[in-house]
Amino acid sequence: MIDRHGETQELLAGYVLQSLSSEDAAEADRLLTEHVPGCSECRMMLDAFQAVTGELSLDADPVRPPDPLLPRIHREMEPRGRWGARSTPGRLVAAVASVALVVGVGGLALAQHGGPSTPQVPTADVQELADYVIQHHPIQQQPLGGNAQELSAPGVQELFVYGRGVPFPGPGLVYRLWAVSRHHATHLHDFLPYPDGTVLVRLAVDPSTFDHLLVTVEPAGSQPSEPGDPAWPEAG
Amino acid sequence: MRDGDRDDLEFHRRLSEGDRGAFDELYRRYAGAAYGLAYRVTGQQILAQDVVHDAFMALWRTPEAFDPARGPFRTFFLALVHHRAVDLVRRESRLRARSERAANLEPLVGEDPADAIAEESYLGVRRKEVREALASLPSEQRQVLEMAYFGGKTQVQIAEELGIPLGTVKTRTFAAMRKLRAALEEIS
Repeated sequence: MIDRHGETQELLAGYVLQSLSSEDAAEADRLLTEHVPGCSECRMMLDAFQAVTGELSLDADPVRPPDPLLPRIHREMEPRGRWGARSTPGRLVAAVASVALVVGVGGLALAQHGGPSTPQVPTADVQELADYVIQHHPIQQQPLGGNAQELSAPGVQELFVYGRGVPFPGPGLVYRLWAVSRHHATHLHDFLPYPDGTVLVRLAVDPSTFDHLLVTVEPAGSQPSEPGDPAWPEAG
Repeated sequence: MRDGDRDDLEFHRRLSEGDRGAFDELYRRYAGAAYGLAYRVTGQQILAQDVVHDAFMALWRTPEAFDPARGPFRTFFLALVHHRAVDLVRRESRLRARSERAANLEPLVGEDPADAIAEESYLGVRRKEVREALASLPSEQRQVLEMAYFGGKTQVQIAEELGIPLGTVKTRTFAAMRKLRAALEEIS
């Protein structure tokens, strides 16, 4: 009999250490959305492994950082009261971060294949989006319809699809993301909103290589050959 | 919960409300550990500074990312530093020097790494416990763990470097993590 928990946990050990190959990382992402949330044993082990990675850091000798580092950080710290005056992405990040976090996993979750039991937005994903918005200026926002939008930055070969209050596509259906160019559409990813309607998808795609993103509704598990009708025609 | 962890929670709460003094206190507590970790992973001071800078800025800008229900602030923050350090070295073209780095870290200008900085006593106590737990691992398990964690290597790279099957690397990593977890709990 195959010990699925053992196999899962073996992957999780590599996952929290960020040492999985891309193939194993994709499998770990899948397990983190499909298996771990509903498995108390694996969830407990994930928590334990994450704690171990935090503790492991103490094996490194502490070293006093250069004196100018703290003043440098101070110069870049915005007063909290000014958050409201920040750009829309800043508010957007704060909004995302305020979402209740049930499962916080390390690494980059590139997929959201879960159904109704899918956990809410993982902490690490919120952190990744926050970092992206903080580190890249200017952030370009392109509405996709359905309360979702594409967030990208010039010259940065990755982008996010983010939304709150995104409706569910219906039983047995998923949203399918396509990169549409003049002559063809390339399938990028299938996703479902989290139970609270949040969508947060990170894509390692260069936005300069296509004209626009398209979201369609397709049967879950179907072959992504050609895009069907737009999920949200209001996106134009 | 240890006193140090309880204090961290209070500092984090205040930081979340925009208290710069609380931020400075967390910096005083963790900058040394964070910089030491980032330096060990990246092998370069300039990269280590960037890692620590980014980690503290992320803490200031999105303090909500830390969920106290999931463990102490210390493990959250240092895991964040580690995550960033590994990400950075993988992105940097300076990776080419990494194979030499483990044995020959860039000298720390103006600092003597052997001259351990003063740190909170509870961190020092925990550091000893972690090292004790690490020392209890079989050497082959500790090796793959260190190559992954401090070397930032993937399991495939580790397998190639050691000339062992990928499955063996996975098995040793899993065993090491489980034993380390158990050892840390026992020591605590």
